[in-house]
Amino acid sequence: MNQYQLIIMADDKQVVLERILQVTRYRGFLINGISAEVNTGTKVATIIMQVSSERPIELLVDQVNKLIDIKSVSVDNSVAFENSATLLKLSTQN
Amino acid sequence: MTTENQFTGGSLLFDVLQQHGVNEVFGYPGGAIMPIYDALYDSDVKHYLVRHEQGAAFSAIGYARATGKVGVCLATSGPGATNLITGLADALADSIPIVAITGQVATTAMGSDAFQEIDVFGLSLACTKHSFQVRDVNDLESVLHQAFAIALEGRQGPVLVDIPKDVQLAAVQKQCLKVSTIPNKVKLPPADVTKALSLLTTARKPILYVGGGVGMANAIDEVRSFAKETGMPSVSTLKGLGALSSDDNPYYLGMLGMHGTKAANIAVQECDLLVAVGARFDDRVTGKLTEFAPNARIIHFDIDTAEINKRRFADAPILGDLKANVPLLSCQLEIEEWQNKIVEMKQDFGWQYDHPGQGIFAPSVLKEVSEKAPKNTCVTTDVGQHQMWAAQHMNFDDPHNFLTSGGMGTMGFGLPAAIGAQVSRPNDMVIAVTGDGSFMMNIQELGTIKRFNLPVKVVLIDNEKLGMVRQWQDLFFQGRLSETDLSDNPDFVMLANAFGIKAKQITTKAEVSDAIAEMIDHDGPYVLQVCIDALDNVWPLVPPETANDKMMEST
Ligand SMILES: Cc1ncc(C[n+]2csc(CCOP(=O)(O)OP(=O)(O)O)c2C)c(N)n1
Repeated sequence: MNQYQLIIMADDKQVVLERILQVTRYRGFLINGISAEVNTGTKVATIIMQVSSERPIELLVDQVNKLIDIKSVSVDNSVAFENSATLLKLSTQN
Repeated sequence: MTTENQFTGGSLLFDVLQQHGVNEVFGYPGGAIMPIYDALYDSDVKHYLVRHEQGAAFSAIGYARATGKVGVCLATSGPGATNLITGLADALADSIPIVAITGQVATTAMGSDAFQEIDVFGLSLACTKHSFQVRDVNDLESVLHQAFAIALEGRQGPVLVDIPKDVQLAAVQKQCLKVSTIPNKVKLPPADVTKALSLLTTARKPILYVGGGVGMANAIDEVRSFAKETGMPSVSTLKGLGALSSDDNPYYLGMLGMHGTKAANIAVQECDLLVAVGARFDDRVTGKLTEFAPNARIIHFDIDTAEINKRRFADAPILGDLKANVPLLSCQLEIEEWQNKIVEMKQDFGWQYDHPGQGIFAPSVLKEVSEKAPKNTCVTTDVGQHQMWAAQHMNFDDPHNFLTSGGMGTMGFGLPAAIGAQVSRPNDMVIAVTGDGSFMMNIQELGTIKRFNLPVKVVLIDNEKLGMVRQWQDLFFQGRLSETDLSDNPDFVMLANAFGIKAKQITTKAEVSDAIAEMIDHDGPYVLQVCIDALDNVWPLVPPETANDKMMEST
């Protein structure tokens, strides 16, 4: 399984996080960690998500990008995966 | 409504609908949507009361698909909302612009397992393009405008707006917002037109592969001109049917895929370039993906970035509006040898209509219906063998004239979709081609047809079986016919008559022509029950996980 870190910028609209989670699961990616913060001034949320899958990450990037409230999605190639203490660790099969 | 801009949530809904040109809606009332139905009472919007909310969703889809406009359906909370879900899924799979309005329990009761409360907003995540729950009546106007914009923008799709009962009742001032458009946030990479043109001009055996996106993008003329100018042989998906036609295109081979024509499938397997236009390499089209068009480079036109490289790598993706982009590749090709081969295959592998005995051959019936129906007739289908026979043997001159559940393959689609199509195009003939299994899935909509005296014609291909499943059981499950027998069907003529609808049953070839003429000449709704042999199969058939040129054929 390959691991990736995504940086997602989104308008802080109704259930935006739930939409991202639903698409991520449906498209065949496991979530290993996630953090979400909102800038209360701009109402823009920054969601950092670590995912793993056998599938190419472009598949998920394109599908998350299609969600209406998403502003941008990028793959963060700089991350070392052992070092993800800032993210909420998920150990379930989500 | 007291003064000019003073509304309730409910009355504002109809005001905004009319602003979007919606004068007809399909729905079913109930407790949590009563304030909206109360506002409807004073509104000029015409409401078509269906007999099941699934019928409302499919009618909205039929309305949208027959015209390109947004279809609207209404349902109450709880069971009303869940009954819409199949329709929403169908619209999502086929990218159909509909707006579904659901009533919800009052905001104070939400989250308390209230009577008829279901989290339809949560359910919507998997079966809509987008959804809203309006918790403040002051947001309603803008949400509704956004819903219409999202349904139509880019790759079209269904949008759900869930409105709690207190929001429907609340007083609100109309803000007279401008009808919004959604900014296209996806920055399209510049199309590699030069690369695509070089692939095209160097190809010896190119094929144009036309999908449902062509009709939805209103790019039919552009695609026809492109096919003509290049002289490129072409094939169509189920949803693309109608964009091209054999009448004006000698190199058009019809549908490809699982039940595609032999010529189309062989040509695609042999081609060295596939130009996909508004098509998505669906598994029913490709058969075994790794063996699909094995020698072909790919030019892929689409509006949806996520379709590029999803199932097949595109050598030259061209993203964006098909109408604008397809003409960019227009050029003349020298592919005479390939064209000659295509014409030869088309002749060698044409349909055969000889059928022994007195029994009725469904393909011949559908061909004759298609030939005799007036110009601009809109055909809907259900799902199964009859659907594939309709796709193979009927001719369509526009994708808006062939409405079939493609992506979801939903039985029960045909009759309510025909209602929506007839409402949106009252002057055109609408024919629903159905099977005895599918017909029973939304048969209650005969009541809607009768109430509004919609002159929908139903061609019921009756094999007393869930025919398509029976065919697969015979071919791939050693003839173990598990739960596919429908020999105890009701008397369909009597059933239609019970709804006050004229009907006729035919069982022999000799009766076919007169019966079709009678149906077409009849002023009102009509059910023609065509009894066929229970064991007739749809050919050709590409078995699952098999390359498309390894099709099974009639023996
Ligand atoms: C809602 C739904 N349930 C089940 C199926 C699976 N299915 C596909 S075709 C088919 C048989 C359809 O029978 P009928 O409508 O009589 O058409 P025929 O194949 O006999 O022409 C079934 C059960 C489906 N497509 N949709």
